[in-house]
Amino acid sequence: MSGDVSLSTRPAQATPGFWARIVENRDLLALPAMFIIALLIFSLASDKFLTTGNLTNVARQSVYLLIVALGQLVVMIGGGLDLSVGSNVSLTSVASSMVMAAIFAANPNDPWFALWSGLAVGMAVGLAVGLVNGLGVTLLGINPFMMTLGMSSVVFGITLYIAGGVPIYGAPPLHGEIFGFGKIAGFPIPSLVALALVALAWFTLEWTRFGRHLYAAGGNGRAAELSGVRTVPVRIMAYMICGMMASLAGLLLTARLGSGEANVGASLPLESIAACVISGVSLAGGRGRALAVVMGTLLILLVQNGLNLMQVGAYAQSIATGGILIFAMAIVRR
Amino acid sequence: MTLHATPVAETAATGPVPTIETVGLTRLYGQNAALDHVSLRFMPGEVHVLFGENGAGKSTLISMISGANAPSSGQILLKGQPVRFDSVRMARANGVRAVFQEFSLVPDLTVAQNITLGEEPALGPRAFGLANVLAKSAARNEARRLIEELGFDLNPDAKVSTLTRGKQQMVEICKAMRVRPDLLILDEPTASLSEHDSQALFALIRRLTAAGTAIIYVTHRMHEIPLIGHRLSVLRDGQFVATVPADTPEDRLIELMTGRNMAKIYPQPRADLGEVKLRLDNVTLTPRQGVEPVRDVSLTVRAGEIVGIAGLVGCGKGNLAQACFGLHRVAEGTIEVSGRAIQPRHPSDAIKAGLWYSPADRKNDGLALDQSAHKNMILSGLSFGPSRGEFLRPRRDARRLAELVRMVEFDANRMGEPVSRFSGGNQQKILLAKALVQDVEVYVFDEPTVGVDIGACLSIYRCLATLSARGAAILLVSSNLPELMGLTHRMLVMSQGRLVAEFDRADYDEHKILEQFF
Repeated sequence: MSGDVSLSTRPAQATPGFWARIVENRDLLALPAMFIIALLIFSLASDKFLTTGNLTNVARQSVYLLIVALGQLVVMIGGGLDLSVGSNVSLTSVASSMVMAAIFAANPNDPWFALWSGLAVGMAVGLAVGLVNGLGVTLLGINPFMMTLGMSSVVFGITLYIAGGVPIYGAPPLHGEIFGFGKIAGFPIPSLVALALVALAWFTLEWTRFGRHLYAAGGNGRAAELSGVRTVPVRIMAYMICGMMASLAGLLLTARLGSGEANVGASLPLESIAACVISGVSLAGGRGRALAVVMGTLLILLVQNGLNLMQVGAYAQSIATGGILIFAMAIVRR
Repeated sequence: MTLHATPVAETAATGPVPTIETVGLTRLYGQNAALDHVSLRFMPGEVHVLFGENGAGKSTLISMISGANAPSSGQILLKGQPVRFDSVRMARANGVRAVFQEFSLVPDLTVAQNITLGEEPALGPRAFGLANVLAKSAARNEARRLIEELGFDLNPDAKVSTLTRGKQQMVEICKAMRVRPDLLILDEPTASLSEHDSQALFALIRRLTAAGTAIIYVTHRMHEIPLIGHRLSVLRDGQFVATVPADTPEDRLIELMTGRNMAKIYPQPRADLGEVKLRLDNVTLTPRQGVEPVRDVSLTVRAGEIVGIAGLVGCGKGNLAQACFGLHRVAEGTIEVSGRAIQPRHPSDAIKAGLWYSPADRKNDGLALDQSAHKNMILSGLSFGPSRGEFLRPRRDARRLAELVRMVEFDANRMGEPVSRFSGGNQQKILLAKALVQDVEVYVFDEPTVGVDIGACLSIYRCLATLSARGAAILLVSSNLPELMGLTHRMLVMSQGRLVAEFDRADYDEHKILEQFF
């Protein structure tokens, strides 16, 4: 060590500050933090909030949003966005109800056939809407925001047109008994369906090649193409999965309500995107996890439920959902 | 550690106050220190070269001095007074200006608008319409004056998006020079400049230092250092290594930078070659916007052979490489891989046939920056390699990758980190590992060492040599002539879309090869 003007000296490595680490991982911490804050505020505001009955209720209500949000997650990971999920739910609800009602009326002795036909039509509607979205975004190169916004209007128009603006009754009672209020071993069937879909989504995203290709297509589409990934079918598939998830949510909601309703999905696009974004799903694509989206969905429902118990009314809930979305974006922005 | 560089007179004790001094500057990312207690003095009128491998901490250091990044600990002294730059704007207000490699230009605005952006000539308290017109012409005049003064060849009314990268670099420099800074930071300013513009820049730098401006100059081009620099500080792994005079011999600098003795840079190419693996016969590309014409190209690459393609930027060598991978339509001629003709319409067709193409632009075409090194490396292997399958088996894949990671000399402990955290050299190694996960016999590498420090270059060279020793056929497209001369068995020169000359390794002569470029 001779000759040089100055040589490196190496003091003991400083550990990074507590706050520095929090700031660095803020996108991961935002969701649990908001969760705890919501729990604290609402349990102080209402002694009915932190009861088993109420929390079970929240969990049950969250099923529909959760399923839609999982579909939204798949599309967003691939770098897209689906604003047509709400209209998709509505069309599924109306179309499947009409088919079930018609077949059940013609053949009242076989409610099962009517039920399965309705389910099949509902799923077909969802897949078709997803396919059109996917083709528009990939082959025509339309921006996902515009494509699905346009489709949202188209699909909602079709819904109003075929429903004629009235609720559709006449589905076999079996529908509601099983998919609306049915239970297996004490667990509500809609919740079981949602749980199965969460597991399926988690498995698909984390443990399959399709999942990896989806993350790659969203993370850097050009690099994915140059790695031999055919991103066009991957992204079309993502929109079809999202469409199918929306239609499943639509079918479950219809069973719960006992009628096909055209306006049942109005709040879902915003809520599903909010559930994803507060869970750390990137709008640019390539990032997001299924289990986090479960938490994000629960948070939105918890806040709505808490505000309900505080008797602040439906308008404030809409304000709260939008506020959470904006707040989350402010925290996770990079 | 023993260092034998010549001592440099210490100026600080008696001489002028440093324009900028860093004291124990540290920046942590999680547990990793990107910069670890670095103390340096940047004197007025001095060109202080920062030297080190990618990831050594140069970028981190200059980003903190320029206010783009906050230190985790340590201090910055501006003319002896401690300061805290919370933003680039604040650093600018204090006379510190930086020109980064990543440009901060608005593509749709003109050169003049970009130069004056954010600090447009003040509007008078007049009616808005008239004031606008006045301000515009004032901005243009100012930009024109500045460009003339700096001696650049730029049209102030040209849209920035229509300029070459080199010209955009000049706009960046003009932008920084608009207010005379006390400290100017230049991050590899000549990387995309022509010889003529580099000379103009050097002349400018000399004028600035004569007027007392301190300059921090980051470069990988070693031949520039004695031309322009006064002192040079070497960083390695975030730590300060030494400060030496700028005329220190190159091999000594490489030793300081890498901490290793450079016996030989280029591995010896293997002698015995196998059968022809890649054959191009009279390949002509379909003309298209943005694709340089490629006409009537015929070449062969044998197993174990490394064939280089040299040529100027725009000669079509990059497009030819991409065409092999199905990225451009072949109008005429055939491409054969391992004796079978292929007509790839998508990269996956080419990979299936046994050909891999590694793109030149790692950030846009090569890697998903948000995702981990592991996920990036394994991606194509999931469809084409021994790891293929509908379902993932991360543990098995990790074992496979461990081997490749050793081969490209990448840090196996950092496989889970997102690519964006890595230096250019490490990103390039990730890209190289990505090329190795599938079973192919023909590799086309497009500029595999662009923007990479010498240490990473050496790793990449060794890896290419290993690939060739294993019997892979390699087509190497590069703008770096010494690298081509060091690595390849044969070299083809491309000019205006045609192959114009071929050289055997025994006949390599830099001047003769360069003559064929034009």
